Amino acid sequence: MVEYIIRRLIFGIFVLFIMTAFIFIIMRAVPGDVVTLQLANSGATAEQMDAMKAEMGLDKSILGQLTDWVTKAVQGDLGNSLWSGQEVSQIIVDRLPVTIQLAIMSIILAILIGIPIGVISAVKQNTWIDHFLKIFSVSGLSIPNFWLGLVLLTVLSLALNWIPPLGFQSFAENPMVNLQQMILPAICLAITLSASIVRMTRSAVLEVLHSEFIRTVRAKGARERIVIFKHALRNSLVSVITLIGLQVGYLLGGTVVLESIFALPGLGSLIFESVLARDYPIVQSAVLVFGAMFLLVNLIVDVMYGWVDPRIRTK
Amino acid sequence: MSQVQLDSELLKGKLKASRNLSVKKFKEDCKRFIFTQKIGFISLLFILLVIIIALIAPIIAPFDPIAQDRAAFLAAPNSEHVMGTDDLGRDVLSRLVHGSRISLIVGFSTVIISIILGTLIGMVSGYFGGIVDMIIQRIMDAIMSIPALILALFIAALLGPAIQNVIISLVIIEVPRFARIVRGEMMRIRESNYVEASRSVGASSFRIILKHGLPNMMAPIIVMASLAFGQTIIAEASLSFLGIGTPPPNPSWGLMLSDASRYMESAPWLVLFPGLALSILVLAFNLFGDALRDFLDPKMS
Repeated sequence: MVEYIIRRLIFGIFVLFIMTAFIFIIMRAVPGDVVTLQLANSGATAEQMDAMKAEMGLDKSILGQLTDWVTKAVQGDLGNSLWSGQEVSQIIVDRLPVTIQLAIMSIILAILIGIPIGVISAVKQNTWIDHFLKIFSVSGLSIPNFWLGLVLLTVLSLALNWIPPLGFQSFAENPMVNLQQMILPAICLAITLSASIVRMTRSAVLEVLHSEFIRTVRAKGARERIVIFKHALRNSLVSVITLIGLQVGYLLGGTVVLESIFALPGLGSLIFESVLARDYPIVQSAVLVFGAMFLLVNLIVDVMYGWVDPRIRTK
Repeated sequence: MSQVQLDSELLKGKLKASRNLSVKKFKEDCKRFIFTQKIGFISLLFILLVIIIALIAPIIAPFDPIAQDRAAFLAAPNSEHVMGTDDLGRDVLSRLVHGSRISLIVGFSTVIISIILGTLIGMVSGYFGGIVDMIIQRIMDAIMSIPALILALFIAALLGPAIQNVIISLVIIEVPRFARIVRGEMMRIRESNYVEASRSVGASSFRIILKHGLPNMMAPIIVMASLAFGQTIIAEASLSFLGIGTPPPNPSWGLMLSDASRYMESAPWLVLFPGLALSILVLAFNLFGDALRDFLDPKMS
């Protein structure tokens, strides 16, 4: 197991390196840089701009800049923002918790909504309840989460005269305010996620319910509740966990739009602002952090298989 | 009649027969699809309807989608403007009708280009295997490890707001997904008996890929394309909503929602209609894709 995890980590670092090179090259191959943006209206001469670029290390070849960046990043120095001069690692440490909290709240909500609905759907297979829930889940997959956010905001403000409190506060500072600010974006992300969990749970539970060993369990006289919860649900957890791993990419992508709508200072809105400002070091590092989170969650998911399903553990 | 002529006549006849057979089979498949997948068929009809609306948008739209009418801004739905007007007095219905063009153009271009590139990459990777496969797969892994919307946002923002840039950024996120499916299928096919048979009679790699690879992976590609279409439409809307997709004054649905978000309380209909249009179109593609999957391979669902 340990050997497996180490191998996966090495592989992950390798992928992150290719990702870095990919982002690096695209970002610099495209016209427009931070110096030109900053000094656009200041009447600076071409020499002054060149001097400033040299100071930021932007005058070197792309390969040279890449080597510089990787050498420093390995030592834990992600550089400074080209606009504010703040340390990038500090900015990311400030912003990351918001995005992680949003992602975790969404996953929990999605599981709370998705698994029960999926089980009900499977148990009531081909009844009108099943059809209705199926429509719910396909709709959930089709509604853009940012539109859902706008609709929720509109309805709540018109009907209940309620809007989320302004001015972001972290959970540690003020849990009540924080939860009020986070709950709507979390619901928006959770709806899509729960829709796919419903489908996965339904088909997995159905598959187990039709299997030989469930017939045995029923034959020995186990109660229906035990059949479903102890045997069917437990055996379908593997596919649900896999699904969550696969959907983390969607979840992290979704934070960009939702953090922008709900004015949350997370990593998603940071990346959006920084790309527009051509703040290379921040974009570079933030994309890397997103990639690392994605790979890490998938590693955790793969390790969890063994925990849920002992048959995989032995292999 | 010489032997060669006879052979070629025979071959022509065979070809014609097999063509007739495949046309007949296609017709039968369509009939079976209509009868067994009613929801999928209705979704397909709806998609066709939207395509027709997009094609004849200038004829059926009551107003010019970008003509401003300062006298009638933020008008609630009424008999003249069935879905109301936006903050610049533009008719929402007309913008919605014209906006379908943007969604469909972005959707079709992205999916078609991604299928072509993804199939090429996947086939090469899956057929040759070894070091070629290793290098291609690691690059695809790296691209797929960046959350799709973040990568699209990154590329679209760098390239600047334009429809073709949205398409480029969406192609980059879709290609690895198609390539992965095609690669898997290719590896499966490579091991199959009939490919081994054609290799043993001396068929070239190229011929094997073309003759045996392609036809066998049409089903998974078509299903994937239909589902990718919905995702692409949502992604275009998201990018436009953030202001880095389709540039104004184009009536992109995402852009309309972005404008609407400033008038949520005074003009909620602006939020309602573009989002509904977007959701229903994506729903149709998802339902059609699901039905197609059930139809083509009942084991997959």
